[in-house]
Order: sequence, then structure tokens, then C-alpha cells
Amino acid sequence: MHPFRQSRHDASRRRLLRGLTLACAGLGLAGLAMPGFANEPWQRLEAAQSVLGESTPSTEGLTLDLPHVSEDGSAVPLTVSFDGELAEGDYIERIDLFANGNPYPEVATFRLTQLSAKPEISTRVRLNETQQVIAIATSHQGERFATSREVRITVSGCLMRNGNDANDALSNPRVSVPSGLSAGEPAEVRTLINHPMETGLREGDDGETLPRHIVERFSVSIDGDVVFEADLHQAVSANPYLRFFLTPVESGEAEFTWQDDTGETARHVAELELS
Amino acid sequence: MTQHSQRSGINRRQLIKGLGAASLLPLVGGVTPFAIGGQHAGKVVVVGGGFGGATAAKYLKRANPAIEVILVEPAETFYTCPFSNLHLGGLRSMDEIAHGYDELQDRYGVRVIHARAEDVDAAAHKVTLSTGSELDYDRLLLSPGIDIRWNALEGYDEAAAEKAPHAWKAGSQTEKLRAQLEAMEDGGTFVMVAPENPFRCPPGPYERASLVANYLAQYKPKSKVLILDAKDNFSKQGLFMEGWEQLYGDRIEWVGLSNDGRVTRVDAERLEVETEFGTVHKADVLNVIPPQKAGWIAERAGVTDDSGWVPVKPETFESQQVEDIYVIGDATVAAPMPKSGFCANAQAKVVAAAIAASLESRPAPEAYWTNTCYSLVGPEYGISVAGVYRVVDGAIAEVEGSGGVSPTGAPSATRALEAQYAVGWYNAICQDTWGTQT
Ligand SMILES: Cc1cc2nc3c(=O)[nH]c(=O)nc-3n(C[C@H](O)[C@H](O)[C@H](O)COP(=O)(O)OP(=O)(O)OC[C@H]3O[C@@H](n4cnc5c(N)ncnc54)[C@H](O)[C@@H]3O)c2cc1C
Repeated sequence: MHPFRQSRHDASRRRLLRGLTLACAGLGLAGLAMPGFANEPWQRLEAAQSVLGESTPSTEGLTLDLPHVSEDGSAVPLTVSFDGELAEGDYIERIDLFANGNPYPEVATFRLTQLSAKPEISTRVRLNETQQVIAIATSHQGERFATSREVRITVSGCLMRNGNDANDALSNPRVSVPSGLSAGEPAEVRTLINHPMETGLREGDDGETLPRHIVERFSVSIDGDVVFEADLHQAVSANPYLRFFLTPVESGEAEFTWQDDTGETARHVAELELS
Repeated sequence: MTQHSQRSGINRRQLIKGLGAASLLPLVGGVTPFAIGGQHAGKVVVVGGGFGGATAAKYLKRANPAIEVILVEPAETFYTCPFSNLHLGGLRSMDEIAHGYDELQDRYGVRVIHARAEDVDAAAHKVTLSTGSELDYDRLLLSPGIDIRWNALEGYDEAAAEKAPHAWKAGSQTEKLRAQLEAMEDGGTFVMVAPENPFRCPPGPYERASLVANYLAQYKPKSKVLILDAKDNFSKQGLFMEGWEQLYGDRIEWVGLSNDGRVTRVDAERLEVETEFGTVHKADVLNVIPPQKAGWIAERAGVTDDSGWVPVKPETFESQQVEDIYVIGDATVAAPMPKSGFCANAQAKVVAAAIAASLESRPAPEAYWTNTCYSLVGPEYGISVAGVYRVVDGAIAEVEGSGGVSPTGAPSATRALEAQYAVGWYNAICQDTWGTQT
């Protein structure tokens, strides 16, 4: 057998099935779960379905960039971006990420505004096995887009992991904002904070389960108005990293806030100076 | 078996095309030229005379001396990356990590051509060499190692590598970095930039930091080593850190990804690097281990995917994308097997058996591989990680419970013994690969 040919064949079969799925949906037959019918991964995940509701998302325009093979499932770099077509004035308002093979499939939800509307976000996620990562984007006017990508997780033989000295939770908030911003131009912002992002699923040295302890919410406001928000779940790697874009229209003060599930917060303030 | 009949079908079609309709006659009886007199057992071109390629060339000849094996490698002397860190640390000369190709030619009958493979025409089964000549093949085996992804790290191009050597291919780069280290004033900082996964030799950067620290401790005691890492975890981390503390106190500082260790810009002229969150570090000697990809010829052959590495069928290491081209060593996606010389050598033996079998229309024997990565934390302080791998559900997997790492907190006698094993391993693998010991 030739895996290469095989996989091409599979791909075209998947396309065919996708076509059929859409056709069935049109006929109101989508609810007829057919055994062995190759649904899209988001159709098989309840958490994703609750974001999609009744709608059938477009599969064009949304891209997930992850390595096909990752040698360290504790921090897999991920970028989700959208370059599809939207109606005049419409923009991507929300992006949801899921990992269908994790104990909790939710990874993160991002809420964007017109001041953060270049839809390209990077983070690092935990994937505990080979699985599909799913992204769903929702526009302000309610258009929906979905995509998925399979990631194979292996731990390299030379990469046996040993624990790191943990930093204190919510210590060392770091923000990088470019200097020389111009009005209406998307500017790349990177943020990092030290936090264990303890999943609540892991045992400590004494055999007791370590309680869940994660950063739940990250937000950015400019002069008091929230312009970007993220809800994070256990699947976001320790020391959460986020890269996204702000599109300020005038100079102002940007405040970055991280809040964890004990209610503690950390803040960082940066001046946005437009030229 | 179906695989093979399809294959010879293709070969035959090409042959027919090449010879023209008039030459059809000799084929009609079903006798291919290969079978005439049983002499032509097949022709294999091997590109790259490093750990993978040199081993494979030899083992192909051992599998069946009638196979014509041509090894294409530009260098007449191969310097091994393994133990090149000992050269950096002043513990071994370059001659002691040098190997040649005489034994492959004289003893095993491999034809060695010192040239670079410039292009591959997979459809025509031809390789073009830098000498301008062409080689045809029945099977092509690529073991080209890695190439640097120039400019993937801002500011790090070929010119920058002259000022801030990577020394991630052994040879003049190794010598350059050694000379810089020797010339460094006492009190200086050796800054190493370590890449994210995957890259050649996962424990390599940390062994290097160790042996540089060992040299500094003796000759430049006021100097330091700073590692800026794009990862939060690295190979044998606990063991390295334990050894560093014991041998070097706080001479080695490691800054991981989550503490702003990821370098995003290199200024080789000023020996400065800038991290993701804007910290600028000034070096006295700057060693940048940059992002990597499969050796360039793999791209020309059409076997790489968008990761820049080569996906292979795990049972045989034949390319998933192009028939009759096999790829081994660092260039491949073989995780969980690491990119090590040990693995390249192990993969070479499996691929030699698979190619020999396919030339005789036999199925490839079942594959399994082993790996041991020794690292020297000091000249008398060795640590290791080992694993056994086989194919499970169509993918390479580590056999459960097979491997392991050196114990933490072991007595110095254990570390000293492992350092001896490391030397024994080096001698044995070089003997196996090039037939030469230093
Ligand atoms: C500092 C350091 C320390 C290391 N220590 C160890 C260790 O202790 N143990 C271990 O197991 N591994 C170690 N490694 C890893 C090891 O060096 C590699 O995994 C191994 O060399 C891979 O073998 P290969 O055949 O894939 O590539 P290589 O050994 O690099 O061989 C590739 C060859 O292909 C040739 N080539 C490339 N392109 C062409 C072309 N177009 N035409 C013709 N020839 C071409 C090159 O000239 C080269 O000779 C270390 C690596 C480094 C950098």
C-alpha cells in the first residue's frame, strides 16, 4: 500500500462527504446521525456545537497553524488566524479553541473588538495525546467559520522531562508593544506571565491531586474600554503566553489584567503612543 | 508485494520510454535487464557520508555485495558533531573527531564520489552532481543531515554565522567557536542561543554549555555561560542541572522560554541578542544554535513537507511523498526517535535491509531501533538516556518500559563510569560507520 496515495484518496473522500453533509443539512437531514459518516470534528464535539448552535460554519478563511508532530505536548505553539471574506464593516468578534482529545475540550475563548480586529492570535497549549484541535470564529454579524487540524504528540527519547522550578503564580507580567504605532494600523502585542496553570488533574509528590489553579481571564483595556479579552482553560500551557493585535485609533493607556481562579489579579500598564 | 509489482511496472515503463518502441523486444519475454545472468542486483545512490549515509552504504554492501552502491559526499574528511563539544572544551583535537572513506571503498566496495548532489529527478531516477555528471539509480537514499534556516531568526544569516558561529555542523564552524572562546578575556560571558524543538541532538546544547563551563572554570574562572532558551524543558534537564550545580556552582545560567529566554533578534556585529520581551544581552562569545530543517537536497527531491522535514513510512523509511527515495537521519520526522547519530546509524541498518529486500522483491523485515544519547557534563561526569522503538499502529513508538535515564543523585563513580561508556560508544559507532577509530 502507498500511504501517500491512500491519504490523497482519503482527502477527496472527506471532501465528498463534506459536500454530502452540507447537502443533508440543506434538506434538514443533519440530525440523522449516520454510523460511520465522516462528520467534521466540530460536529462531534458538544462544546463546539454549543458555540455553533444551529448554524453550519464556512470552512473557508479560518486557519489553524500547529506543528503536525509535537515532541512536547505540554506546550504546543498554536496560531489561529482569519483571512476570509466578510461583509463591509463586519469583523471577527469571537474565536473559540477546542482540543477534542483532552479531558476538558475547551482551550480558550477570545473576544475581539474593532480595536483588536486583526484576527490573528498565538498561544501555547497542552495536548495530552494525538488529537484534533478545532477553531471556530464568529463575526459581529453572526457569520461562523470553523477549521481543525490534527496534531500528533510524541515525547522524544532525548526529551525526558523533569519538573521546572515553579515561579510564583501571577509573577513577572511581561508585555511587548511596538513603539511607533500609527492610527488604525494593527500592532503586534505579546504577553507572558508566570503561573503554574495547574490543571486539577495532576498528582503532587505526595500522591494527592493538586487543586486546579489557573489564570481564567485576561483582558486589555485602552483608557478604560475593554478591547480584547480571553477566557483561558486548563489546556493553556503553564506561564500563559498570548500574541494578538491591537489597532488603536489614538494615543492612550493600555491596561493588561490577568485574573486567576482564586480571584487574584496582576496588572501591567503600557502607554500607546501614536505618531 | 503489490508494492513491488507496481514499482517494476513503473521502471519498465520508463525504460520503454527511454529506449523507444524499437527496443521493446528484449522485454517481451518478461525478462528485465536486472535479471539477466543474475548480475545486476540493483543500483543504489546514497547522498551524504555522515552517520546515516556511511552506515547505510556499508550495510547495503553487507546485505548483498552484488548491489552497486555509490556514496556521494563532498568532504573527504568527515568531522563528527558527537565529541565536537570536547574540542570546544579543549579536550580533543579536530583530528580526534575526523573520519575518512577509505575503508568503505577498499573493504566494502562502495564507490565514493566526492561531490555535492545538486538535484534529483525523481521521475527519471537521476541525481545531478556538482561535477556536472548524472547518476541514475534504482533506489536513492538521502541522509543529508540538517541545514540552517537562515533568517528564520531575525539577523542570523550566513554572514552572521561568521561572527556568531552555530558550530552545529562540525568542522570550520567548530574551530571558529573554539578560537573565539580561547581569545575571550577572563570575566567574559559565553552566550548560547538554544532553539525550539525539533532540532539536531536535543541534549547537545547543554553538553556544550557544560564543557565550555569546564574550560572556563580552569582557564578563565571569572567568566560565565548564559543559555537563552526557546524552550521550557530540555533533554535530561534534571540531570544536567544537578551536574551543573555540583561541578560549576552558578557559572551556568539557564533562562527558559517562560522567563523571557526566547531570542527573537541577533545582532552578530555587536554580539548582542534581543529576547521576545525586549531584554538585550551582550555576549563576549556568541553561539547561536538556530532553527533547522532537513538538508537542502531533500527539498530538491520533493520529499519534505511544510515543516521542512521529511515524513517517511516508518517500516522502511521510504519517503511518504516520492517512490524509490528513502531518507534517514536528522532530515526525517522520526519522533519519538531523537535526531541523534545513534538513531541515524540504527535507521541506516534498517533502511539497508529494506532496500536490499525491495530490490529482490522481498518484503522488508520488521523494524526496530535503539538509541542511547550520552552527554558529558564534565570530562569525568557522564549521563545518558536510552530507548527502544518499533512501529505500533503505523507510527514509530517507544517500547514501553524499554529505556530510561541515568539516576539522579548517583555517586560520582557512576558518573565517571558513564563518561567512560561515552568514549566507548563513540569509538564503537565510528568504527561501525566509517571503519575508523581515532
Ligand atoms: C554538538 C553536537 C553534539 C552531538 N552529539 C551527539 C552524540 O553524542 N550522540 C549522538 O548520537 N548524536 C550526537 N549529535 C547528533 C549527530 O551529529 C546527528 O544526529 C548525526 O550527524 C545525524 O546523521 P545524518 O546522517 O542525518 O547527518 P550528518 O551526520 O550530518 O551527515 C550528513 C552528510 O550529508 C552530506 N550532505 C548534505 N547535503 C549533501 C548533498 N547535497 N550532496 C552530498 N552530500 C551532502 C554532508 O556533507 C554530511 O556529511 C550531536 C550533534 C551536535 C551538533
